[in-house]
Amino acid sequence: MPSQDTVGQSNIRPEQPQDPGWLRIILIGRNPKVTFARIAVLVVTCFIIFKFILLHIQVEGISMLPTYPDQSKHFVNRFAYLWHGPQRGDVVGIRFSTNAPAGIHQAANWLKPPHAMLLKRIVGLPGETVAFADGRVLINGEVLDEPYEKTPCDWNRPPVKLGPDEYFVVGDNRTMPWEDHTFGRAQRSQIVGKALL
Amino acid sequence: MKVIIRIVLLAALAALGIWLWTVLFPSPEKVVRRRLTELARTVSSSANESDLTRLAAARSVAGFFAATVELNVDLPELGQHNSMDREEITQLALMGRSRAGGLRVKFPDINITVAPDKQSAMADLTVEANVSGEHDPIVQEMKFTFRKNDGQWLITRIETVRTLI
Repeated sequence: MPSQDTVGQSNIRPEQPQDPGWLRIILIGRNPKVTFARIAVLVVTCFIIFKFILLHIQVEGISMLPTYPDQSKHFVNRFAYLWHGPQRGDVVGIRFSTNAPAGIHQAANWLKPPHAMLLKRIVGLPGETVAFADGRVLINGEVLDEPYEKTPCDWNRPPVKLGPDEYFVVGDNRTMPWEDHTFGRAQRSQIVGKALL
Repeated sequence: MKVIIRIVLLAALAALGIWLWTVLFPSPEKVVRRRLTELARTVSSSANESDLTRLAAARSVAGFFAATVELNVDLPELGQHNSMDREEITQLALMGRSRAGGLRVKFPDINITVAPDKQSAMADLTVEANVSGEHDPIVQEMKFTFRKNDGQWLITRIETVRTLI
């Protein structure tokens, strides 16, 4: 009498799915397709974030000492001013190209992030009058409290009236003569974003 | 299926045609951008170049400029010139190359505005120069005016721009 195993049935047993090894699970997970999809999403997200939103910068120079040392690395957040304008005290990245397409919301600006920027602190807001007297910043004639300013300075500069779209920016290191320091009025369209970290 | 394949092939052919057209007949903006990239490469120098290489490179630099170039620059290296001819540009390039141990010039951010007649263009750019031995790079915003002369885009005017006013 034939055994039950052989009557009307194949001897070949269906293949049992093999358990992936622990190394494979660690490296590519239980489902490689899902893992690769996750990696692709992560790569695209990182590319978009670090190419267009958080711009990596390296400080070159001493004009922002002691807040931002020479050769230190930071990010500039281009989304910082989507919902509100730049604030006094913010450290911002300023594009060199004054002829760049105007308006932070313009696609051309977003798709062409600048490679070289100035890193400065905003001390004056649109419409204000900014001056320097014995190293102190005067906003509309009143002394500005600058807790970040650690070094003595003796700058004296006449008052500058800012336009409706202009910000007054200056570095934190004012120990050098004012002639050697890049500071002054920046258009809103030149402000790329706020420095992070 | 055949129709889809035909459509895909036609689209690929059209894309190839457009690409070929842009390669063979580049837009003025593209040509000016390419000229600027070439200029940056030509101005850059290495520390151990021979006198002959230096002279040839300096002459090549002059070839990017019109016979007379209008200057409105605030750079001490250039002195108080209002204009320069090609010979002076060659001499200046030669002097710069001999003085600097090595120089690496880049134009990282370029904005080009082509005039409606497509015979002139304005390039607003950032010059980034790294001199060997110097810690900090020299970064300066500049404006170059190009004019098309006998099919060649030549620089006719250079001006420095104050980024913060």
